[in-house]
Amino acid sequence: MGEVIVVTSGKGGVGKTTTTANIGTGLALKGKSVVLVDADIGLRNLDVVMGLENRIVYDLVDVVEGVCRQRQALIKDKRFPNLYLLPAAQTKDKNAVNPEQMQKLTGDLAEEFDYVILDCPAGIEQGFKNAIAGANKAIVVTTPEVSAVRDADRIIGLLEASGLRNPMLIINRIKMDMVKRGDMMNIDDMIDILAIDLLGVVPDDDLIVVSTNRGEPVIAIEQSLAGQAYRNIVRRVLGEDIPFMNLESEDGFFKRVAKLFGLNKKKQ
Amino acid sequence: MAENAVIFKGTKDGLYIILKEEMDLSTIKYNLEKKIKPSKRFFEGANIMNFKGKKLTQDEFDELKEIMEQEYGMTVIGSYNDKDYPVHEEHRAAKKPEILEQLPFDNVHKGEALIVRATLRSGQLIQYKGDVVVIGDVNPGAHIKSAGSVIVMGTVRGIIQAGANGDYGAFIVAYKMQPSQLRIGDIITRSPDGMGSKSDNPEIALVKQGMIVVEPYLKNR
Repeated sequence: MGEVIVVTSGKGGVGKTTTTANIGTGLALKGKSVVLVDADIGLRNLDVVMGLENRIVYDLVDVVEGVCRQRQALIKDKRFPNLYLLPAAQTKDKNAVNPEQMQKLTGDLAEEFDYVILDCPAGIEQGFKNAIAGANKAIVVTTPEVSAVRDADRIIGLLEASGLRNPMLIINRIKMDMVKRGDMMNIDDMIDILAIDLLGVVPDDDLIVVSTNRGEPVIAIEQSLAGQAYRNIVRRVLGEDIPFMNLESEDGFFKRVAKLFGLNKKKQ
Repeated sequence: MAENAVIFKGTKDGLYIILKEEMDLSTIKYNLEKKIKPSKRFFEGANIMNFKGKKLTQDEFDELKEIMEQEYGMTVIGSYNDKDYPVHEEHRAAKKPEILEQLPFDNVHKGEALIVRATLRSGQLIQYKGDVVVIGDVNPGAHIKSAGSVIVMGTVRGIIQAGANGDYGAFIVAYKMQPSQLRIGDIITRSPDGMGSKSDNPEIALVKQGMIVVEPYLKNR
């Protein structure tokens, strides 16, 4: 029985879909069988980010409604043979499925795959309830902005209320130089507020935009900082104990970041 | 209540004034004044075909006609006697001669077409039992499902499904063909990954030897 992980955030645009795509691809790179489920019915994006948009014939709603078999709707990734996508319907809305149906669907998928990763829609309505219904683990994505952290806090509360204890936190799009200047919330502040385990910190990276537009997750790009961060996150998901300061030893930029950290500590 | 005592109604034949059944003549006159006065200049010179609705006596008709003509400068064309016969059928028939079908060759498909004058955006689905004509673009994420053929006077970037009931003779035409997917009958094809060569010419997609083929339909371009 595989794990069902929901990636959620409350706020839109913080990187749920990018995170889902990268963690999924990363787990597949590690040899796990993975299915990514786009739970954002009506505003699907995961297929585009994965570069699989033009392969969609059946979707999640078709599976739930019994129009096709589950296997028929799964789209095999271009690069990784053990990575699949179950796309959302675009011409329906969130009310096309209910939490019970999602529970059954993710249950069926978990029989077949090591990891089922759900890309949750923004918001706390029906779509969110559907996405978390079948999950047994949750990853909360936030960015270093007060509004995103506020929404993440609300989401963590809702997750706990529905029995998803101990969600893990990913802080996305952090700019170390801004944090250093005091222009951006720092990691400790956010963990202070949210009080959940940190799964990883992903630096802001222009390559994300490039890779998203190309439909190739950034995790496969060796020289990308964000890619490195996602590779570490994946190893932590797999249970490895990877230290957080790994950003230090990568390349010029990381060394600079590390130095800035050092300076920061001295000042304190 | 009294708001609708008098209604101006434009028809193919001209302007009618519909008088509400239960209104008495003074109410009607009052409402006529209320309607016409503010835009008297607009109504001036207008031709009123006739009154409709409330049964008028000859005297009432004459009175209203006089008001319309004297006070508001309109002309009432109809007379009291033909007030219940709104349309002259033979008159209309003479105006619009029927177009007789005349075709120089056989390669013609006749059927019902749905004409959409809009750009179809992501998440919009059009399903129709006949042909579909889109005057506009079909964006990514938009979906057209047609039992017949599909013609797009614009760029196709979404999914087009022609001959959805299994008609392999259906085709898809677009000014610019950049679809994410095309389907004819139960045959599915998708655009190649990456930025393939894009044609600037209008193209047609049809089934040839069990495959969907996209080619220019104006051969000399």
